[in-house]
Amino acid sequence: MPANKELSAALDIEGNVPIISIQLDAMVVLKIAKHCRESAPATVTGQLMGLDVNGVLEVTHSFPMPKNQDSEDFEGSQYQLQMMRCLREVNVDDNSVGWYQSTNMGNFMNQSLIEHQFEFQQALNKSVLIIHDVARSSMGNLNLRALRLTPSFMKLYKDKKFTTEALAKAKLTFSNIFEELPITIRNTALLDALLFELETSNDSVEISTSHLTTYKASNNNNYSNSNSNSKKSVLTPSFEMLDLSLDPYIAKNLENLMDTIDDHHQEQGNYAYWQRSVERENKKKAAHLLTRKTENARRAQAGQAPLPTEDVDAMFKLPAEPSRLDHLLISGQIDNYCKQINQFAGPTLGKLFAVGELQK
Amino acid sequence: MDNTSTLHLALPSVQTVPTANAPVSTLAQPRAFSSSVNPLVFFSILDHYLRRNADQDRVIGTLLGVRSEDGAEVEIKGCYPVPHLETQDQVEVDMEYHRTMFDLHKQVNPKEVIVGWYATGADLNSYSALIHDFYQKEVSSFPAVHLTMDTALTNERLGVKTYISASVGITSKADNCMFIPIPCDVKYFKAERAGLELLAGAKNNESGSTTLLSDMENLERAIVEVQSMLERVSEYVDTVLAGTVPANNTVGRYLMDTVSVVPKVDAAEFEKMFNSRLQDLLMVIYLANMTRTQLAVAKRLEKLL
Repeated sequence: MPANKELSAALDIEGNVPIISIQLDAMVVLKIAKHCRESAPATVTGQLMGLDVNGVLEVTHSFPMPKNQDSEDFEGSQYQLQMMRCLREVNVDDNSVGWYQSTNMGNFMNQSLIEHQFEFQQALNKSVLIIHDVARSSMGNLNLRALRLTPSFMKLYKDKKFTTEALAKAKLTFSNIFEELPITIRNTALLDALLFELETSNDSVEISTSHLTTYKASNNNNYSNSNSNSKKSVLTPSFEMLDLSLDPYIAKNLENLMDTIDDHHQEQGNYAYWQRSVERENKKKAAHLLTRKTENARRAQAGQAPLPTEDVDAMFKLPAEPSRLDHLLISGQIDNYCKQINQFAGPTLGKLFAVGELQK
Repeated sequence: MDNTSTLHLALPSVQTVPTANAPVSTLAQPRAFSSSVNPLVFFSILDHYLRRNADQDRVIGTLLGVRSEDGAEVEIKGCYPVPHLETQDQVEVDMEYHRTMFDLHKQVNPKEVIVGWYATGADLNSYSALIHDFYQKEVSSFPAVHLTMDTALTNERLGVKTYISASVGITSKADNCMFIPIPCDVKYFKAERAGLELLAGAKNNESGSTTLLSDMENLERAIVEVQSMLERVSEYVDTVLAGTVPANNTVGRYLMDTVSVVPKVDAAEFEKMFNSRLQDLLMVIYLANMTRTQLAVAKRLEKLL
């Protein structure tokens, strides 16, 4: 047992130690995957529970939230409270550390998500958002991302000031709205035992031992069939990854990208409109000032008191700058899509050349 | 199977209810009862077991899932722990907790219903029968499923077993019942499989932890795996050809099938396809990078303002 002082240092009661990485329990990963898969393509959310120890946020439990939580806000929080009370009874960490959301092809950048995470981080400094991409995970590689809003973004969002000037001052661009944290996944010893058990084939004579089979066995790849003569076990490797037909994914991705670029264009239009109107106002103001000046000069010649020039500012009000938050988010989203396409493209190129070699 | 046994038990069957719009019923015979389990259930049970109270040596909980239309197949999809207390002469299960939890679960996943219960430990005792009787009442007309997991690792295995009960004796009493083993499969879906695979990668690691793989690393892993498989197969074929190992017809047929599946494409045709694919892909990459560059430029410009 560590001394009391060490313990409190490790638990970081004052909340000084920043979080540097996320550690997920295997069960949480599966829970999230199941919940998200079952309700895909709708986006769903859920709560994460756990503890932060020395800068590592350990997520040890999670539970899904009901879908229609927006319409009945009261019900949602009631549900949450009750669930947490129940979980505490069975010795689960009842410390909320964030939430998770499912997504499809990485289109998660939107206002409501930001708002939600902002509220979370406002209430609990160390909360984290986990994004699970169902579409990409079903391609054979688990896709999880842990995100937190950066402090500078938090500050700006709090003040609700998203002018170009403020953004430039805070050095905030689309690439630093979120900070991404590395994720590790941890198995307990018993789980390891289970996994080994699942891996060893189960053709034993015991009457009741499960003969374990894979569901929806992946046979869409020509080369994986050579596997079928090996022993049957649950964790036979799947070769989703070797699937050549990534076209639908890329097409969908490009489609999304196009939509976002359209949005971006519209946003630009708005901005340009604002700029033009500011310019127009400025011009009017200048013209007015000029007439004032000439009149003043005339009046000075005539020996009259000059007219004041201060009220001009009040006469011409500059239109308020539209919030640049949308622009920021859209840019972030575009960047996201482009990165995804690049990530797809690398392995796909590899596969293409592999097939090319095979053909020879 | 055990030949010395003199007791023959037929797996209990469930009568199929003929429906009006059913096609020609090929299932004239009632189907045997079977169950399938989502791996998440195992994970949750183990987690629950690890978080048990200090003085407890077994934990129980409720299994949730869906039934097929005729009730002969049960898919166990989730579970939640239920606190209970076992003493020398009585067992207490927190019913209220069970109800509340079920209500909460129903809000998120209305399709999943109670299908049975789980317990850790390999042995069934008279309390099992009592608890089972309770769950039998919960699931009304369908047979309740009981899943046990040997967390003490006797026989060095986590023997997962599923049972349903049959009443014993002339008058049925709550604490008299016979647990009949039923077959049990593990079922999962594509997206979950990806997760499982990753977790499986962690099991050889002493610390039991792993990090996420990028797409490229994952591809590499898959290719290496295929390579080793091909090597194994070719090794086998070589030994058969050399005559050291007798040829196995079944394996031979599988191999034949596999080879014949590889599509035969004309070389020129292939070249054309290959190139057009490559061009498409490169174009997409180019455009994506272009867009990113634009964004980066915009970012810099904004700073200049």
